[in-house]
Amino acid sequence: MSAADPLQVIASAGKGESTRSVLRVIILALIAGAAVSSRLFSVIRFESIIHEFDPWFNFRATKYLVANGFYNFWDWFDDRTWHPLGRVTGGTLYPGLMVTSGVIYHALRALTIPVDIRNICVLLAPGFSGLTAIAAYLLTNEMTPSPSAGLLAALFMGIAPGYISRSVAGSYDNEAIAIFLLVFTFYLWIKALKQGSMLWGALCALFYGYMVASWGGYAFITCLLPLHSFVLICMGRYSTRLYVAYTTWYALGTLASMQIPFVGFLPVKTSEHMPALGIFGFLQLLAFLDYVRSAIPSRQFQTFLWLFAGTAFGVGLLGLVIATSMGFIAPWSGRFYSLWDTGYAKIHIPIIASVSEHQPTAWPAFFFDLQMLIWLFPVGVYLLFQELADEHVFIVVYALFGSYFAGVMVRLMLTLTPVVCVAAAIAMSNLLDTYLTTKSPAAPDALSDKDADGKKAGKAGLKSTSKPVVGIYASWAKSVIVSSFAVYLLLFVLHCTWVTSNAYSSPSVVLASRLPDGSQHIIDDYREAYQWLRQNTREDAKIMSWWDYGYQIGGMADRPTLVDNNTWNNTHIATVGKAMASSEEASYPIMRQHEVDYVLVVFGGLLGYSGDDINKFLWMVRIAEGIWPDEVKERAFFTPRGEYRVDGEATETMKNSLMYKMSYYNYQNLFPPGQAVDRMRGVRLPEVGPQLSHLEEAFTSENWIIRIYKVKDLDNLGRDHASAVAFDRGIKKKKPVKKKGPRVLRVE
Amino acid sequence: MRLSLSFIAALFTAAVSAVSTTGNRLLVVLEEDADKQIYSKFLGDLKSRGFDLSFESPKSESLSLFHLGERSYDHIIFFPTKMKGLGPNLTPNILVDFLNAKGNILVTLHSNVAAPTSLVSLLAELDIQLPADRTGLVVDHFNYAADNSSAKAHDVLLLPPPRPARSDVKDFFSTGAGEDDVLAFPRGVGATLGASALLNPVVRAPETAYSYNPKDQVGALTADDLFAAGTQLSLVSAFQARNSARLTLVGAAEMLQDTWFDAEVTASAGGKKKTINREFAKRLSGWTFQELGVLRTNWIEHRLDEPEDPRNNETNPKIYRIKNNVKYTISLSEYSWDSWTAFTVPDNDDIQLEFTMLSPYHRVPLSWDTTRSSDSAAAYTAYFRLPDQHGIFNFRLNYKRPFLSNIDEKNTVSVRHIAHNEWPRSFVISGAWPWIAGVAVTVAGWLAFCLVWMYSAPAKKGVKGEKKTQ
Amino acid sequence: MRLLPTLLSLLGCLSTTTLAAGAGASGNSKSSTNLRKLPPTERFNLYHGKATASSSAAPLKLLETDYRALVATPRDYSVAVLLTAMDSRYGCQLCREFQPEWELLARSWTNGDRKGEGRVVFGTLDFNDGRDVFMGFGLQTAPVLFFFPPTIGPHAVVPPEPLRYDFTGGAQAAEVVHHWLARQLPDRPHPPVKRPINWMRWISTFVILSGGATASYVAWPWVLPVVRNRTVWAAVTLIAILLFTSGHMFNRIRQVPYVAGDGRGGISYFAKGFQTQYGLETQIVAAIYGVLTLSGITLAIKVPRIADPKSQTVAFLAWWGILFVVYSLLISIFRTKSPGYGFALPPFM
Repeated sequence: MSAADPLQVIASAGKGESTRSVLRVIILALIAGAAVSSRLFSVIRFESIIHEFDPWFNFRATKYLVANGFYNFWDWFDDRTWHPLGRVTGGTLYPGLMVTSGVIYHALRALTIPVDIRNICVLLAPGFSGLTAIAAYLLTNEMTPSPSAGLLAALFMGIAPGYISRSVAGSYDNEAIAIFLLVFTFYLWIKALKQGSMLWGALCALFYGYMVASWGGYAFITCLLPLHSFVLICMGRYSTRLYVAYTTWYALGTLASMQIPFVGFLPVKTSEHMPALGIFGFLQLLAFLDYVRSAIPSRQFQTFLWLFAGTAFGVGLLGLVIATSMGFIAPWSGRFYSLWDTGYAKIHIPIIASVSEHQPTAWPAFFFDLQMLIWLFPVGVYLLFQELADEHVFIVVYALFGSYFAGVMVRLMLTLTPVVCVAAAIAMSNLLDTYLTTKSPAAPDALSDKDADGKKAGKAGLKSTSKPVVGIYASWAKSVIVSSFAVYLLLFVLHCTWVTSNAYSSPSVVLASRLPDGSQHIIDDYREAYQWLRQNTREDAKIMSWWDYGYQIGGMADRPTLVDNNTWNNTHIATVGKAMASSEEASYPIMRQHEVDYVLVVFGGLLGYSGDDINKFLWMVRIAEGIWPDEVKERAFFTPRGEYRVDGEATETMKNSLMYKMSYYNYQNLFPPGQAVDRMRGVRLPEVGPQLSHLEEAFTSENWIIRIYKVKDLDNLGRDHASAVAFDRGIKKKKPVKKKGPRVLRVE
Repeated sequence: MRLSLSFIAALFTAAVSAVSTTGNRLLVVLEEDADKQIYSKFLGDLKSRGFDLSFESPKSESLSLFHLGERSYDHIIFFPTKMKGLGPNLTPNILVDFLNAKGNILVTLHSNVAAPTSLVSLLAELDIQLPADRTGLVVDHFNYAADNSSAKAHDVLLLPPPRPARSDVKDFFSTGAGEDDVLAFPRGVGATLGASALLNPVVRAPETAYSYNPKDQVGALTADDLFAAGTQLSLVSAFQARNSARLTLVGAAEMLQDTWFDAEVTASAGGKKKTINREFAKRLSGWTFQELGVLRTNWIEHRLDEPEDPRNNETNPKIYRIKNNVKYTISLSEYSWDSWTAFTVPDNDDIQLEFTMLSPYHRVPLSWDTTRSSDSAAAYTAYFRLPDQHGIFNFRLNYKRPFLSNIDEKNTVSVRHIAHNEWPRSFVISGAWPWIAGVAVTVAGWLAFCLVWMYSAPAKKGVKGEKKTQ
Repeated sequence: MRLLPTLLSLLGCLSTTTLAAGAGASGNSKSSTNLRKLPPTERFNLYHGKATASSSAAPLKLLETDYRALVATPRDYSVAVLLTAMDSRYGCQLCREFQPEWELLARSWTNGDRKGEGRVVFGTLDFNDGRDVFMGFGLQTAPVLFFFPPTIGPHAVVPPEPLRYDFTGGAQAAEVVHHWLARQLPDRPHPPVKRPINWMRWISTFVILSGGATASYVAWPWVLPVVRNRTVWAAVTLIAILLFTSGHMFNRIRQVPYVAGDGRGGISYFAKGFQTQYGLETQIVAAIYGVLTLSGITLAIKVPRIADPKSQTVAFLAWWGILFVVYSLLISIFRTKSPGYGFALPPFM
């Protein structure tokens, strides 16, 4: 090694297998580090705080787990949500996330490292993203011999915005660990399938169980693995490897999943899980036929057997359909069904339709989340078609369904990202392997050296790969490609960083806005209001608000709520919607019955904050109308010309609705007379604002985003509130005028 | 605890002859001091019962019901005044605040004196209607006092002792009165009460009485012009707010005057009769100023009623389990004149406990618990089984009766579901034995098969076979 | 007891004939008035008899006289009348869409309740036959479904004003209207909507299936290579992926317009805003992705397999150039979608 030729030195440094593995480990460690550090924007910018909505519940549950131990958590009856129904929380959540951070907490304590549980929760997602990168590396290495593909996949996985969106520091949600489990389970499945080993199958089942305990999205695995097996069978690739891997996974995995109270007997009851069961049975049949065939080698007999198998499959399918229609098997659950019949939720389940992350995905979102990967992805898929081994079939199937689901629901971009990263990495590595090599083919007529790949592909491969690989002659071409793709990769990194810091790093509890002079201005109304609740209301004061804020009130203000983001009881939510949509007189009895002490509304009119309750109001009306079609009518909130207005033109129903009154109460006093303007809707409000008689304003945050009202008690003198308020304003009841008609007599 | 309470009560009785439960600062609103002489017996009785009276004229600037947001008096008596209004210190809003601050008011009217506007609008808020022109006179041509000036006007009514209208209401105002005693109601104003449940007539006019305006309704009186007649006409009315503050309207201030205390009157039907005005005035003022019919909750206790449960002897637990048997006990006392006594529910009435979430799941009557009761406090107990529904429930005892102060006790408890380790084990359930046996058989069979296979088949095929059999 | 219904139906038939005579000369006010004079029970039996006379009689095609007679108070029965305008002159699309559903509902209800326990009469009043009724209600639009609750009898409701079903949601399925009616008729029988089995469809599907099966069996030797062909599968997969990743499902679900005109008479290919898109826009994007993918594939697989250096260089230059330009085009398009996106590549800076 002469120092004269550093290139040689570097080249030779990568020669030895040991040095390579060392390098690989170092690179992986660096990638994991990058993955973690690129998710810390929010912590640096704001503080170590739990983000938007669901994480607040997970955080609260984790605190409960850490404080009261596992068994109490398992049997937890939460009497501070869904008042007065309460929630059997232990049986209606996926405990994986909380248990994970609880274990970490206790482990650290055992190591005498005192660390606040909040910080563990905040940093859990970034930590697991590092693991996800490594899992992606392993999965990719199963796909292709090229060692660079795995590293590229790990890199992509680490910084792809599609995954960062749900895993920045502070977004303490199930997806934080679920994606790692997803990728790792797939890796183990591929491993088990390739080796046909029970051990890997059992491991796969184990992690599948962990996945089930962590995220409702486990159904994706439950459907993808059987699908993969089915495709393999159809391709005539049934093998004992498949049999062993699948049966091991299914038997153990189903048992594991049934240990979660929330899942319970679903795996044998609901349609989502039926494919897995069907394929399980079908595989038994095939195994038997396979055995018989090996015993009786007769041509006709074999064809008969295969026909038999086909008919058996058909009959089984028919039986399944019949059982579903007879009701022995529950049909698709709403959320799951709305993936197929995309119009379903909008008509039948307004609650699901109302959630923003259940909306379909427009193409900019794809590009935004996956930039160059979005077009490298098909390239990789195509390359996998060259030699279509079992594991490649898996990636292809995954790619198809992943992209379909991602197109239907924004949040499922999350399940698409891993396969995109893998495929894109394969494509990229293939390109680099081709162009990033110093040796060029010597002579044009060097057609003699056909490589095995070319031959094999020639027989049963793609048309394009029929010719043998020659290589690139011009070294400048190589440099062009290499440099351009280097630029693209750099651009990709810049893009990811930019997206992460601009789009995915704001904890929606604290809003940041730019002042005219460009400096950042923090809008902290939410925490201000929740702190007010925590310090100025009784320990058990019931707060009524729309369900979006239930978890935050429970987590930050520590007060009981009527409804929250765990939307398990449509009727209860509809009750709140009805209370919000009805007039004061109508909703007061509802609030009394539910022992409501305070009502909280979010109002963006002053600041132009779009996510406020007036904008969500129509959903409340729809959900309420679904239960009380006679008392709440969506039509009544639209003007005769069919507009949804809040200004002077608004309909009487709208003006009398509790939500409208609470939003605009006293609002016009901020402005000179007649100048009141709603900056969100951009309309001028009427001169006189609404009057409240059954509620009184208790608190309004700095920017009027949160407004809290106290529900009055019954009048001490037995009057109705309207007249009591009138009396306080000094309007005396006039003496009873002589009225014609019958007198109302008092009966004892 | 209860002992010491009764002891303190005993001390009080020793100190003064009697005292109200809400304090003894009594404001008497009179226009001129001469009136004190007319009502001397009544006021004397009050003083002797331990009230310290302070007399104020509505004109005086110094008069103010509140000092630094606190009540400066506990009770008020309004005697008729000539003023049209009562000045800036006694506006209806201030009086409503006084009621909301648990102050008690006794209002007296006189047919010759126009009731002050602020009192009228205050009463209007309570749904008590006075004659439109504020000078109605109640007359009765069948039972009136025939011996004096009223012999012609028939405007001194002689009423039987006021018995409660309903059988399940305690008799506070006419106990000890003989059947031939009469209550004189001279030159009074009748009022009509709205349907409010907080209102109760104490003395109702007889069927033959009616109210008219002596100025312009001397001649004929059409049905439309008639203000009210018969029992619809309430001569003495009682109002009790939700916070148990009390207001009493006495239609005739004269009936509290000395002349009518223990007087001899000749009834229109003939014969001399004794008036019970003094006793009635005492009882009425006593009730108004919280000396009668005041209920107190001493303590509430709810606990598990399951001897084998380890948490059985825990008092007032925050959380129960569905289908638990529970026991609820409440201790009630009633104040009468000068001491707390055990509260006994009137006949053909009973006190009920509700176990409610959104709507009552149980409504059980409470029964007298002799073991926990004393002569100064009565304990009532109910046993029942919690419903098979988890949630946040309330033990609610809502006892509101006429002339008794309100009891509305609410104790919130959570009712949780059955924990995972509270179900019977599988081997306890006989129905599960076949399945358990099945599991055992499968395991054994599998092991046996493995043994047989290992010793019979070649290793290579063994792998395959093993796969097949699982 | 047993005799009563038969007797009533007899009476129904009788008066049916008389009415037919009376109604035949339409505008014969005498018959209508004496119809109106009939006691409510007889009126109901009369019209219910008509409705149940044949299985397809309901909903009754009402003339104005019948209408007035039906809704005359007092009535101990309920009436559901659809005021519609079927005549092509009025071009009421909604009416024509809803008519079959309405007939289905009326028939299955009336035939499900032949005894008339529910005491409901279904009728249809066309604009041509009942102008004055439309005028009376001051109706501008059709169809309108009125429900007249009974004014006497056990189920009488106050006020007796008819309830109006509004068709804001477009033409509703019979089940929806049935649900609405059922809510207006508590504790009375609600015969369910029975849709007739569509034999034709069953037969056709069966024929098609069997035909397809035979065809595939015959064509198997030709089909097999296509099915087995890996390139075909690859193409199908890639196309599907490109479709989904270019937001095709969004178009399906949101029914976005294909293109929209900009203010100045031209058409704008790209919707403003991050959350919106046009049909054409997605196709353009899909094409761009496709080109990029193609060039990527070519550079990765085809080019290194070209034996001749010259042609290889040419192919390389061509594909690389395409890749370079189109990618920068894609980024610039994305910049128009989300302003504030700072990155760009030459040549589209």
